[in-house]
Amino acid sequence: MTRPAKLLLRAVLAATTLASPMAAAPPADNRAAETKAEPAVHHENFADDAAIRMEGEKRFQANCGRCHQFPHKFPPRMILTVERHMRVRALVTEDDMRVIIRYLTQ
Amino acid sequence: MLLGSPALAVAQTADEERPVPILTGSAGFFTNVDGGHTELAPVISPVLLVPIGERWLVEARGSFEGEFARKNDNGPYGGTVGKEVDYAQLDFIANRYVTVTAGRFLTPFGIYNERLYPIWIRSLQREPLIYPIATEASSGIMLRGGFAISAKANLNYAAYFSTLSTINKLESDRTVGGRVGFFLPGPRVEIGASFQQLLQEERTRASGFHFAWQPAATPLNLRSEYAWSGDKGSGYWIEAAYRLSQVPRWQRVMRHVEIAGRMQQFFGHIDEDEAEEYELPEIDTQQADFGLNYYFMDGLKATASYGREFSSEGNANLWTVGIAYRFAVPLGRVQ
Repeated sequence: MTRPAKLLLRAVLAATTLASPMAAAPPADNRAAETKAEPAVHHENFADDAAIRMEGEKRFQANCGRCHQFPHKFPPRMILTVERHMRVRALVTEDDMRVIIRYLTQ
Repeated sequence: MLLGSPALAVAQTADEERPVPILTGSAGFFTNVDGGHTELAPVISPVLLVPIGERWLVEARGSFEGEFARKNDNGPYGGTVGKEVDYAQLDFIANRYVTVTAGRFLTPFGIYNERLYPIWIRSLQREPLIYPIATEASSGIMLRGGFAISAKANLNYAAYFSTLSTINKLESDRTVGGRVGFFLPGPRVEIGASFQQLLQEERTRASGFHFAWQPAATPLNLRSEYAWSGDKGSGYWIEAAYRLSQVPRWQRVMRHVEIAGRMQQFFGHIDEDEAEEYELPEIDTQQADFGLNYYFMDGLKATASYGREFSSEGNANLWTVGIAYRFAVPLGRVQ
């Protein structure tokens, strides 16, 4: 492949990456720096629900699963209360809590 | 009407995103047979959670524990119901690093007292022998938090000051103490240490270590604690709980079954009055327990265990059979 062709290919790849939904999402650190004590429950159509579910389950097992089994399905407003309780009681980190809430309210 | 609809929708969405007060907790009924003496032990432990705004939480837990035994070993059952306020606290989540707690709270010493104590959570219903060391409720102020210190490790901590309280059912000692722990989410390993200094009477100290491991590949939960107290003694416990969900046969039943085992030792020599006051053994004691739990559904389980206690005062068989249930009721509209 010639040098101009390589540059063109790189430019196309960069433009595609910037236009993707993943790139449009704020980076993890920025999201973590939000000042709200806990996140709102969003019901958006995520680009990759399966990935969110996997990450949520992983963090649920790592944090909540250390003490108890998988919980009963609670309404989102109850989950927000329980998670606030667990943030204090079990010292679940803010970032983990966001992902777990999103997973449990999906 | 057309103008009002979006506003109504926004209001409804905002309401859905607000946490609702909850009445939760656990209830159970257990039959304990200790060295041939039967005791019936009903337990109700309600927990009230009231979130306020975006950063505040009021939480309180009470416990009502009955102890009923036959009079003279063959008479009618009789006994007492113990009533306690385990905690009644106000939490302020200041930021991602610090939560400020004020009021009466569970003393953060080891992992059993704060996290594993509820009957619907514990794998074996009998409390570890060293549980009474440095775990009496505290009244005062506490700073605590948990946050990531790298991509592979979380740090959690708690530091508190407790004041002397002689109010009936709300007793506490004047103490200062804390706990620090590291959790590695990858291998799911947690390790930590606790410390407490009594600021009254004998001004004794207590310290402890805890370790927990939950391997990702198997439904196994390993937990362990060591505790030492200047006036009460020392000891440790090691517990393993294994869910049989990976057993290929009889899956419909096996995935609900958990087996658990615990080995523990206590080292101490305290007089009879102190032993009764602290609920600790008087002398060196070893104990081994084996238990079986069947989870009918989340929060409802039947439990049974057998243990053998060894000490120079004699050995004893310890049987427990019972049922534990966790309830949760919203105190407001959830839809």
